[in-house]
Amino acid sequence: MSALWHNLRFFAGDAWEELRHSPGVNLLAVGTLIAVLFGAGLIALVLSNVETFVAELRDDVRIELYLQDDVSAERREALRAELSATEGVARVEHIDKQEALTRYRDWAGEMSMLIDGLDSNPLPESLEVFLAPGLVAETVGSRIDAEFSEKEGVEQVRFDRELLGRIEALLSLARIGGSSLGLLILAAVVFVMASVLRLAVYARRDEIEIMLLVGATPSFVRGPFLVAGVAQGLISSIAALALIEAARRAALGYTGDDSPALFDLLLAHALPERFVFALIAVGLVVSCTAAWFAVRHSQGLRKIAT
Amino acid sequence: MIRLFNVTKRYNDVVAVEGATLEIARGEFVFLTGPSGAGKTTLLRMMLRQEFPSTGQILVNGRNVGALPTSRIPDLRRSIGVVFQDFKLIRRKTVLDNVAYVLNVAGVPRSRQRKQAYEALRGVGLNHKLSAYPDALSGGEQQRVAIARAVVNEPDLLLADEPTGNLDPDLAVEIMRLFREINARGTTVLVATHDRDLIERMQRRTVILERGRVVAGGEPT
Repeated sequence: MSALWHNLRFFAGDAWEELRHSPGVNLLAVGTLIAVLFGAGLIALVLSNVETFVAELRDDVRIELYLQDDVSAERREALRAELSATEGVARVEHIDKQEALTRYRDWAGEMSMLIDGLDSNPLPESLEVFLAPGLVAETVGSRIDAEFSEKEGVEQVRFDRELLGRIEALLSLARIGGSSLGLLILAAVVFVMASVLRLAVYARRDEIEIMLLVGATPSFVRGPFLVAGVAQGLISSIAALALIEAARRAALGYTGDDSPALFDLLLAHALPERFVFALIAVGLVVSCTAAWFAVRHSQGLRKIAT
Repeated sequence: MIRLFNVTKRYNDVVAVEGATLEIARGEFVFLTGPSGAGKTTLLRMMLRQEFPSTGQILVNGRNVGALPTSRIPDLRRSIGVVFQDFKLIRRKTVLDNVAYVLNVAGVPRSRQRKQAYEALRGVGLNHKLSAYPDALSGGEQQRVAIARAVVNEPDLLLADEPTGNLDPDLAVEIMRLFREINARGTTVLVATHDRDLIERMQRRTVILERGRVVAGGEPT
């Protein structure tokens, strides 16, 4: 434990010394990483906003089961229980005839006078089904339609199949597109960073040779590079996150109240917490992996294994 | 301390060392000499396991260097002090840190590192340049730092490859005086040089290499 502590202290000190003595190469590495993480973060920001927007749309979508006028309260509750137990259903709400009328009046405005002239309320009571996240909404809607439309007490099952389909397609596109872009960016970042850090290792090849000649183990030589990689990754990802948020606020502030709907759609929400942590993790993993690759392929370290 | 049995080193068709047999006893001070390209540096590199012998065996302090597993190479190198013609100091480290680095890789506690490094630098007369960087030192001073680094962990063996090659004659004598002192403390010293004046002045056993072959001085006197 004390040997590990001794080494870690030395690695940190040596990494700091190296950062001070070769600011050019290190600034290049940090700058590259900030630029790439900034780009990746902006894409993540746009995708997360699109996903939030689509998810909000999906939350508004509900499936309605109109009940027959003569349905008993027991039968209604049985249907409600059965619906609640169906996979993909988050909750079921009962809308009685009076609530249906109130909603209609709110929706129709002055036109509601048409219905006010009738002797009785013609609107049916219904069960409103809210969908749980995760499952494909169109599939759940179709299943409920197939299972419940012929059941006793059910007049009709209604939902906008086309809208649900489009929402699901948009969600999948956002997710698949995001994941693919993320993987591409990750690979590109590792490649770019490994090249930049290889420059740093190349600049220190004589030093590495000296270290090995006086008895340093390869891992002892690699240590400071890895610690520097952690520091660079952390600094770069925090700087990139700050720049992303600053850019988002600047873009929204620049357009002000007249901001186009597209701006609101793409930039309304800050980067979600999970993306913030993911970006920091990517920064750390990428810089450490790149540092490890760069040192692993250094000529001096290869020689010791011959 | 060092035994070479019929050691040959070939680089493709070029023979750098051929059938070299040599024995250096513990505590000896030996010069390894010969014209440029005679194989002096190659022999030292094989003793440090920077190179593999093509055939033959090299024993350093009882260890068969050629058969040493990779993981044991750092141990071998920690037991040998090395001095090079081009000093090989780490330019971004101070004089004190350069010397202490050897102790650092051996896991010596920091407080002891500073003390031992200071003592080694005092031994070569550079205790007033602890915070200086190598680039701010003269060639002679840099070589003395390299010597301090080579002896700071009190190795059994000191190898020096043309240690005076970049120095003027007065400084060369000064460096040799330091080697003699180190040898007097019990460290075996092997110096590769082609400086005949220096060898004659020191009056020590001399191994002569010609075209990769040991032609004289292979056995202890």
